[in-house]
Amino acid sequence: MKKNMNITRGVLLGAAGCALLVFPFVAQNSYEVHIINQAGIYILISIGLNLAMGYAGQFNLAMGPLWGVGAYTAAILNTRFGIPFWLNLPAAVIITGLIGAFVGLPSLKVRSHYLAIVTIGLGVAINIALLNGGSLTEGAMGIPHIQMPNFFGYPINSDQRYYYLILVMVILGFFVARQILASRIGRSFRAIRDDYMAAKAMGVNTAYYQVLAFVFSAAYAGAAGALFAHLNTYISPDIFDFSATLFVLTLTMVGGMGSLVGSLVGGVALPILQEYLRVIQNWQLVAYGVAIMVVVIFMPGGVIELTRRLSSWHKIRLPWSIERPRDKTAGE
Amino acid sequence: MFLEIEHLTMKFGGLVAVNDFSVSVQKGKIHGLIGPNGSGKTTIFNVLSGYYKPTAGRIFFEGKRISGLPAYQITAIGLARTFQNLRLFSSMTVLDNLLVGMGHHGRTGILEALFNPVAVQREEKGFFDKAMSLLDLLEIADYARDLATSLPYGHQRRVEIARALATEPKILLLDEPAAGLNDIETQKLREILRKILDSGVTIFLVEHDMKLVMETCETITVLDYGKKIAEGSATSIRNDPIVVEAYLGREDVL
Repeated sequence: MKKNMNITRGVLLGAAGCALLVFPFVAQNSYEVHIINQAGIYILISIGLNLAMGYAGQFNLAMGPLWGVGAYTAAILNTRFGIPFWLNLPAAVIITGLIGAFVGLPSLKVRSHYLAIVTIGLGVAINIALLNGGSLTEGAMGIPHIQMPNFFGYPINSDQRYYYLILVMVILGFFVARQILASRIGRSFRAIRDDYMAAKAMGVNTAYYQVLAFVFSAAYAGAAGALFAHLNTYISPDIFDFSATLFVLTLTMVGGMGSLVGSLVGGVALPILQEYLRVIQNWQLVAYGVAIMVVVIFMPGGVIELTRRLSSWHKIRLPWSIERPRDKTAGE
Repeated sequence: MFLEIEHLTMKFGGLVAVNDFSVSVQKGKIHGLIGPNGSGKTTIFNVLSGYYKPTAGRIFFEGKRISGLPAYQITAIGLARTFQNLRLFSSMTVLDNLLVGMGHHGRTGILEALFNPVAVQREEKGFFDKAMSLLDLLEIADYARDLATSLPYGHQRRVEIARALATEPKILLLDEPAAGLNDIETQKLREILRKILDSGVTIFLVEHDMKLVMETCETITVLDYGKKIAEGSATSIRNDPIVVEAYLGREDVL
């Protein structure tokens, strides 16, 4: 039985791998590839959000603006100093991670909903800073002419080529997150989420891990920002406002808060859905709000939790059924 | 000089929960702390484990002042506790609950987690072996892979104790470990307390089950309205008129 499971798993993974590799060639047009590239960027932000919120129970609702910090770091370094993508990426990760630590400081004083409100506020402040950054951020005009990356002389200058860069980054980001979660860092995160008082009593340095959760989430947003800036070659502050946070929150909750696979599912599904929702324009935000409510009421844990529940009814084991059991109570 | 509480006072606004309380817990013994409901027993535990900063007074452990230290450092120094109302990590297996308690002995950090999975795995293996031996000690090893909160109540109590032991404490603070247990389970608990003591861990026990306290504790301290009213052996406590009065009309309990 176990062997069968492994074979099924291998076949599924292999098929998925092939599909991912050939996708740019079978896509109808480069716009479709572009949307999937965006999806990959959202997956990275979502993994970050999941680490903080889904695993450590720390509401980081400044993800959109933090993504902007990463994008602006890369954009400024590239357009002012001509620094290439490969150096801007780690720079964006580090700088956004540091700012994430500041965003995380209030978590030592306030919790759950209050923390959500405080981080939304700090996100707005970051966004305003981007808007009023004078000659550094070019204000509402944004920064144009960001160069696309170059891989040892091979220019990554189309959506098709950029696709593979994002694919590698998403796979890397996914496995780094898994590695973190499998270590005692991840266990400390979950302990803090499950029972803050008990975690302290077990010798977990809660303050350190809370801030660390914010740093990790911000670092993912930073990486996503650098990828975004060099892909689109133009950025402006309005992209990285609260609605970006809301979108990532929605896709993570629909996919499955507290599950990395959930980030993959939501990260691919929602950006595609968004394309179809373009006809309703400004009503999109309302749609996300409704989607969050529906998820919270009818399927806490998102699509991933739903598939787990269905598979346990029908006694089917899914490749991701062996992930940790979900807790009954979300948040505090 | 093992665990010394000196003139501890804990006030919450106008309420004096603990009033000028002093006690000295001897190494290698079971020390009982009893008193009617609301007499301040759990408050003393919460101060000991670092949740509250005492209004006045000092606490020393092996000569080192621990009052005022953050909770996780107090655990690292060697005080571990269980909770009156179970506080297991609800999303984790029994094993993972214990592994959290071991985390503070870990040497691997972020860099190892990212770049040196071998070191992490080696450390995890050590944690795993230690956790399994603790689960064996408490006779719940069969449940290692089960969700902690899915276990029967009595077993969850044992997981709490195992988890506290996982932090490798020198003294274990047990807050009503027999609450909600039936006679057979309480008997089992008594054996477990004995085993823990034999392994060299001192026990500071808050308990309402008088039979258990009288039979296991070498020294008993009695608390009423936040003040110490008596201290001594089980026999002397049982015959102390002040203690009997504190438990007014419940003489039969003692």
